[in-house]
Amino acid sequence: MPKTISRKLLISSAIALALSGTAQAETLKIAIAGPVTGDVAQYGDMQVIGAQMAVEQINKAGGDLTLEAKVFDDACDPKQAVAVANMIVNEGYQYVVGHLCSSSTQPATDIYEDEGILAVTPASTSPEITKRDLKMIFRTIGLDSFQGPTAGRYIADTIKPKMVAVIHDKQQYGEGIATAVKSTLESKGIKVAMFEGISKGDKDFSALIAKMQKAGVDFVYYGGYHPELGLILRQSFDKGFKVKFMGPEGVGNKDISTIAGEASEGLLVTLPPAFDTRPENKALVDAFKAKKQDASGAFVMTSYAAVQVIADAVKGAGTQDPMKVQSYLRANTFKTPMGTIGFDAKGDLSSFDFEIYTWHADGTKTAVQ
Amino acid sequence: MLESLLYFIQQLINGLTLGSAYALIAIGYTMVYGIIGMINFAHGEIYMIGTYVAFLAITAMGMLGIEYLPVVFLFALLSSILVSSAFGWSLERIAYRPLRGSNRLIPLISAIGMSIFLQNYVRLGQGSRDVALPSVLTGGWTFGPDDGFQASLSYMQLLIFIVTFISMSLLTSFISRSRTGRACRAVAQDMKMANLLGIDTNRIISLTFVIGAALAAVAGVLLGMQYGVANPFIGFIAGLKAFTAAVLGGIGSIPGAMLGALILGIAESMTAAYFSSEYKDVVSFGLLVLILLFRPTGLLGKPEVEKI
Repeated sequence: MPKTISRKLLISSAIALALSGTAQAETLKIAIAGPVTGDVAQYGDMQVIGAQMAVEQINKAGGDLTLEAKVFDDACDPKQAVAVANMIVNEGYQYVVGHLCSSSTQPATDIYEDEGILAVTPASTSPEITKRDLKMIFRTIGLDSFQGPTAGRYIADTIKPKMVAVIHDKQQYGEGIATAVKSTLESKGIKVAMFEGISKGDKDFSALIAKMQKAGVDFVYYGGYHPELGLILRQSFDKGFKVKFMGPEGVGNKDISTIAGEASEGLLVTLPPAFDTRPENKALVDAFKAKKQDASGAFVMTSYAAVQVIADAVKGAGTQDPMKVQSYLRANTFKTPMGTIGFDAKGDLSSFDFEIYTWHADGTKTAVQ
Repeated sequence: MLESLLYFIQQLINGLTLGSAYALIAIGYTMVYGIIGMINFAHGEIYMIGTYVAFLAITAMGMLGIEYLPVVFLFALLSSILVSSAFGWSLERIAYRPLRGSNRLIPLISAIGMSIFLQNYVRLGQGSRDVALPSVLTGGWTFGPDDGFQASLSYMQLLIFIVTFISMSLLTSFISRSRTGRACRAVAQDMKMANLLGIDTNRIISLTFVIGAALAAVAGVLLGMQYGVANPFIGFIAGLKAFTAAVLGGIGSIPGAMLGALILGIAESMTAAYFSSEYKDVVSFGLLVLILLFRPTGLLGKPEVEKI
């Protein structure tokens, strides 16, 4: 493809320029791709404030690398994600922080891989994304295949329910986690009485709730996002179906309490560790507070870390060539607000632990263990 | 035995509630189609706006300290109908009237444009997040043994049935009895001829959009109170389902839209009850395909004589 050739030319001439000894500060352009609009835009907000804070802090710290970031909106829509990915290619970006929804990251990363663009997703947890032997795709978050078993083990060992229903929204993310929870429960000898999908965007779950009531379900796991679970909680509460519910980090934000009100009290959620409560991140959290931003969102620190590892790897490798930077990423560890992290051959984090929290009606959470 | 019966009744109630709501929105599609032979693709957005206005009205009443439910409900209903009707009227003026007489595809595109515009207009004004309202009307009746499965009918569900029934009766008698209703039917039969006979067709068409929007607003208020959640994108799915209901019952026919909507609601609820929620949409759209195969005009639709 002529486009790739001209890009390689550009890269090599850029390298040549860099080697020619001009000690000027280099600019590293990073595209932030995620849902700025749409019904999961609040997660996009977390991603954008985390990534932009990293850009700001790194630039403030000085050095000969200046970061420049631009936000692209994929609205959590796979079609738009592909369009955005092409736009990122055409505008000449070599580094992407994103995307957020697994179903958007999946098609977009195909394009990045082909075009030699390095992408770090701070939020997509579907195992499928790194299963494809891609070189250029990394993530600074754990996988559904970690999150599902964490939830499943907790349900089986601590709650010990008699009749479990596992519900999901038929999306890559929700169904993936729901399947992992189901197989963990079954391997521990707990029978899953119901395994059903609902449609994203549905408003009426009365038929499903009546069905669970009749089956005598005493524990519900929901794989998906908060708009649907919020309504399920609210309608269950109104119908007098008051059992324990649990969900993945996709349901764990303040909006679930806005939607479900008192019905969200006691909801169990698996979340990435609360990095913002760690003492070593205090200065950073204060910087967020100074800008009136909330550092406690699940993807804020992972997005911060995504920008930071790109910047550190570019500095460490001494080049902006994504090929060299990706091997540097795999070979080294990086000190980030998430702790010291490293990547395995697939581009996943070498270790990541999800933690279990109890959600409260006022939108706060407390750690369970 | 008793348990299965109660379960069936419960799912029937759920299906009827869902169907009543679809019916209110479906009327708007079917009336516009009946009169000008076009689908109003921005109708779902009018419903969405109706929900938002109801939320604002209920919140405003709460801030004024008025909690007497009938007053709150009527105020929400009236303000929502007023604002949505204004939107319905403007929609016709902007997206349909200037294009009347042009190729049928052109107003279709402009309606889709209006739909996108309204979605984003509300999104920019109100934010893309879900807005929520605490349940205004809670409680209900339950039937069945204390230790087994209990069927329940909430006051809210009953309110939805009653208000839908009243709106539908009012509409039907308006169309079949009143002078303006007769003019509507005349325009639907032959617009040019009605015009020649001295009926102000422009006014009738505007009125159609206003009535459709008012009913969508009623649905917006009721469903807004039932589910307590709204975002700028709820109009799309609601519109799609209501459109399906209208086609199922025979587009252009008002009783058809009601029947289609109830069938759709019950089919969805029963599929979720006895098979799986996963197949809900498969069954309802499968039903649509089957009915269109054997009755291309829908259940109660009349075969249309091509007017051109």
